[in-house]
Parts: sequence; C-alpha cells; structure tokens
Amino acid sequence: MPILNIQLAAQDPSGNPIPSLVALQQRGPVVQVSVSVEQNIAQQLLAQGVPLPAPERGLALIDTGATSTCVDDAAAARLNLPAIDVVTIASASHASTQQNVHPIQIEVVGLPITISAPRAIAAPLAAQGLVVLIGRDVLQHCTFFYNGPAGSFSLSV
Amino acid sequence: MSVHPGRFVVVKGERLLGAFDSMEQALAAGAAAFGLQSFLVRRLGEKQAEVNIPALTLGLLRADPQHPAGRSGS
Repeated sequence: MPILNIQLAAQDPSGNPIPSLVALQQRGPVVQVSVSVEQNIAQQLLAQGVPLPAPERGLALIDTGATSTCVDDAAAARLNLPAIDVVTIASASHASTQQNVHPIQIEVVGLPITISAPRAIAAPLAAQGLVVLIGRDVLQHCTFFYNGPAGSFSLSV
Repeated sequence: MSVHPGRFVVVKGERLLGAFDSMEQALAAGAAAFGLQSFLVRRLGEKQAEVNIPALTLGLLRADPQHPAGRSGS
C-alpha cells in the first residue's frame, strides 16, 4: 500500500520560512497531482487509436468536508473529458447551478499512487490554484492522517 | 429499471447501450461506443446522492486566513 507523507514548507513574501504547522493551516493538505482521462475510458480510446489528451498537472486539496471529488472545469474541458451525468450544486456567489460529472484518474506526482474518481464534479477551482478537490468518495478508499502540530499529513490508498 | 436493479446503464440520447455490473464496465462500454462524446451513466434503483461541498457552496476556498472571524463577544 503506497503511502504519501508530506510536510508543507513555505515562505512569506520576504522569503522567511513559515513554520510547517502554519503552512498546513493556511494552505491545507495539498498534493501535486496529474489528472487524466479515467483508465477504463483511456484503454478503450487507445484501442481505437484515439490520441489521449495530455494530463493536467496542479495541486489537489484533500477536503474531508466534501462528499464528492471535484475537477477544475477548465482542466476538464482541456482534457476533453466526456460528461456522464449532471448534478446540482449550490454556490455562495450565485444561484445553484448544474455541473457536469466527469470520470477522471488522479496520479500523485512522483509516487506510484493512482486514484480513480469516476464521478468528479466540474467546478471552478483554478482561481484557487487547484486542479482537483479530493472528496470523501475517494477518501472512502484511503487512510488519511492529519498531523497539525507537525504540519504534515499522510495518505495511503 | 425493474429488470436490472443495481446495475449501471449507459444511455446516449434515446439509445440504451446496455446494463453493466460495475461503473468501470459501463465507462469502458460507453467509451468503446461513443469515444470522448458525453453519455449518461446511472445506477438503476439508486437515489441520486446529495452533493455537499461546503468549500464551494460557502465560498470557503476564497476565505482569507489572514483575517479570521472574531470570537463572539470579542
């Protein structure tokens, strides 16, 4: 079972190091990931000779408060992901909207950790510097340990 | 629906592609038939799960940790 251990490191605008526990509190448990077409779809496309879009790289925030995983809507468009359903989600800034549901695959950069999220909801995450929000639909298959005092967290799949 | 309870169906327009035992099989079949076009995958007999993403719905992703909310009475 691959285990991801991360201790956040950050600097303030003056270049001074920020303690890990402060960095984790401010940024949250984020990890570099690569997002691509879900593997069952990718295998079919490759069998048909269809070229796969290049994966999208960025930060994923592990969000234990979210029932569902989300993918940035612009990244989903660039990946040309098929929509397999529509769900309604509320927003603080505007009325409830219907958002597409996409099947995606998430790979942790630099580690042999691959996560399938067959029902990721498209949402505007890029403005937050995120490409994915990892919700409890994915976390139900993981062990997640948040060590606030150490400014670190671990995730195993 | 009563014929395939619990199975995953793939629908495109008014065409029912089939019913499958798993989401993975449904996605593979949908991609084989429709490529990267959109198609619907639903599990029969299952109520649509409520989606709850407070970080989005409450705008918490935009919260500024430099200005935390004050305690009541402070």
